[in-house]
Amino acid sequence: MLKIIIPTMMLIPLTWLSKPSMIWINTTAYSMLISLIGLTYLNQFTDNNLNFSLLFFTDSLSAPLLMLTTWLLPLMLMASQYHLSKETLTRKKLYITMLVLLQLFLIMTFTATELIMFYILFEATLMPTLIIITRWGNQTERLNAGLYFLFYTLVGSLPLLIALLWVQNNLGTLNLLVIQYWAPPLLDSWSNALLWLACMMAFMVKMPLYGLHLWLPKAHVEAPIAGSMVLAAVLLKLGGYGMMRITVLLNPLTNFMAYPFMMLSLWGMIMTSSICLRQTDLKSLIAYSSVSHMALVIVAVLIQSPWSYMGATALMIAHGLTSSMLFCLANSNYERVHSRTMILARGLQTLLPLMAAWWLLASLTNLALPPTINLVGELFVVMASFSWSNITIILMGINITITALYSLYMLITTQRGKYTHHIKNVKPSFTRENSLMALHLLPLLLLSLNPKVILGPIY
Amino acid sequence: MKPPILTIIMSTVISGTIMVLISSHWLTIWIGFEMNMLAIIPILMKKFNPRAMEASTKYFLTQATASMLLMLGITINLLLTGQWAVLNMPDPIASNMMTVALAMKLGLSPFHFWVPEVTQGIPLSSGMILLTWQKIAPLSILYQISPSTNPNLLMAMATMSVLMGGWGGLNQTQLRKILAYSSIAHMGWMIAVTTYNPTLMLLNLVIYIMMTLGAFMLFMLNSSTTTLSLSHMWNKFPLITSLILTIMLSLGGLPPLSGFIPKWMIIHELTKNNMIIMATFMAITALLNLYFYMRLTYATTLTLFPSMNIMKMKWQFENTKNTTLLPLLIVISTMLLPLSPMMLTLL
Repeated sequence: MLKIIIPTMMLIPLTWLSKPSMIWINTTAYSMLISLIGLTYLNQFTDNNLNFSLLFFTDSLSAPLLMLTTWLLPLMLMASQYHLSKETLTRKKLYITMLVLLQLFLIMTFTATELIMFYILFEATLMPTLIIITRWGNQTERLNAGLYFLFYTLVGSLPLLIALLWVQNNLGTLNLLVIQYWAPPLLDSWSNALLWLACMMAFMVKMPLYGLHLWLPKAHVEAPIAGSMVLAAVLLKLGGYGMMRITVLLNPLTNFMAYPFMMLSLWGMIMTSSICLRQTDLKSLIAYSSVSHMALVIVAVLIQSPWSYMGATALMIAHGLTSSMLFCLANSNYERVHSRTMILARGLQTLLPLMAAWWLLASLTNLALPPTINLVGELFVVMASFSWSNITIILMGINITITALYSLYMLITTQRGKYTHHIKNVKPSFTRENSLMALHLLPLLLLSLNPKVILGPIY
Repeated sequence: MKPPILTIIMSTVISGTIMVLISSHWLTIWIGFEMNMLAIIPILMKKFNPRAMEASTKYFLTQATASMLLMLGITINLLLTGQWAVLNMPDPIASNMMTVALAMKLGLSPFHFWVPEVTQGIPLSSGMILLTWQKIAPLSILYQISPSTNPNLLMAMATMSVLMGGWGGLNQTQLRKILAYSSIAHMGWMIAVTTYNPTLMLLNLVIYIMMTLGAFMLFMLNSSTTTLSLSHMWNKFPLITSLILTIMLSLGGLPPLSGFIPKWMIIHELTKNNMIIMATFMAITALLNLYFYMRLTYATTLTLFPSMNIMKMKWQFENTKNTTLLPLLIVISTMLLPLSPMMLTLL
């Protein structure tokens, strides 16, 4: 694992010591090389895991997420070049340092063996993200957004710390590889219910669950592009990953305790999808669509069946790439029009046809078109929830319909129709932007050819 | 203050605390406390304005009362055990009396009312000594009598202290009052764990002293005592603004900074002893503290302008304030988490 961690740490001296004209080139190139190292970890045993040391391990669940994280850093750096071009050199280097630090913490979180180390790094990811959102966001609401983000996550995760320490006192260890065999069944009592809540609420807030999702639209909308990308693509998946790891400890109480959260998620995914239909703010639409997709993941993790876990893992990877791509597209709009309102920059297909192609592909993957992995994930989750309870098929069907509706609404509003007269002097697409979209889409399409990689440990 | 006088007074302060630390006779402990208190009054009154005199008077009255209560506890112990040796105090009356006396000295709830007012009235450097050095002596006595203290009393004081420290600091803009309420809250954390593992109390004290010294020195660089003057720091010391961010987040107990070490260890110890509700309660009220630290960072660092001042003459002005060992304090306050096993074995 050090062969990823040390190079990522060394990206920080690289940014501070590079020549001013070379910082973007150096960091993007080397972070892409680091992501190529992670590709070797995708060759996982299906029923076992790859133990690197006492501290780090990967298995078929964390290796795709690790790959997603390392793949996203060069993309974030490429996306940030424009809006940082007017800042002073020190500020640029600080921004890149924050991104690299976040990357470091995320890599260590996804590969942590010990749950306390997972917790510490889970909390540690908050700090660079807070700094990125609050310092480099664009509107005054970013201050409020940073506070909401920090405090929602902390209030959820402090009980998790206490629950983890309690479990360590009882079981003797918090090593993930050990507790899957040693965890005693959690019987139904008030204190066990509180333990269940303490363990899960941190991840519910992070996912986010529908009732606790208030921080997400604020944080996503106010963050700069790299912040939005990393939030949507990776930080939400931390919640899903943590939930999948910690439910090992929480059986069979989960069958009983999961009902309120299932209700909230099933209803919430329809609610947030419907809100998307009425959004005027493009980034807000993509943020609410993230809530809706993650609600599916919550449903899948709480059902705890083999197919639902496969669907959850696939959906996490697919949604990471898709929503990051959508944020990049929204940012390319924002950089030209300096407003997030959708109708201000409509009819772009006539002006930027290649970008319209990327918009089309991104919207199609967002609405889970076959044979993309988005569909694989959603379909597995829908089937698993149908087997859990037949009625959920109605809700899932409504959700898929509304998802299709708002994805096409977003596509049609921004791309089709007559353009407005004031966007005539929009700059043409940069090669950087086109390559950014291609690099997002390429893993998605390649994974559609071999989804086995991202189907998780149950496959 | 003239240097010879300052030397004598500071050495009296230091030797007073050291007398408390090394003595095995209760009378010399009391003498040490009195030396410390009397010598620090001139330090608190470095400036001759009525505010400073009022603060020094309040400090003197509370600390003298606390010393007398301590003496009362010592005398009751002498009455019941017939000896002056500093061992445990088996009698609950003497032990409670002493705990209350030490709580008054430390500024724990419900005896916390003097801390914000005294800290506000004195200069920044005196406040620094007040909130860090003055805590060492009472906590050392608490460490020594910790086996015989009443856990209920300590837990009640800890609960009230974290609440008061959290809520009291929410409405403040004066930096010294903010650090005073932070001190009250941290003292609450320290005594919550005293009955279970006094070593963790010392760990929390050491890390708290490092962080508070660092925070005070950063404020002294700009002579800023209000949030407003702190928000002007971007102009003179842009680097220091980011250091204020890290120290404030460390005071708030955010991982991966070293302020998280005492909180984690204390919650671990409380959980081991089945005080789970207490641990949850303290952890959540620490978020109140984090809110006003975040407000300071918002004013200072996170709302920096896109470009800095291009004043050409800045290089001619050197730093004139006494910021001893500031880099060391910053590093200790932020990067100690990977070394936490070493911290536990050192104490």
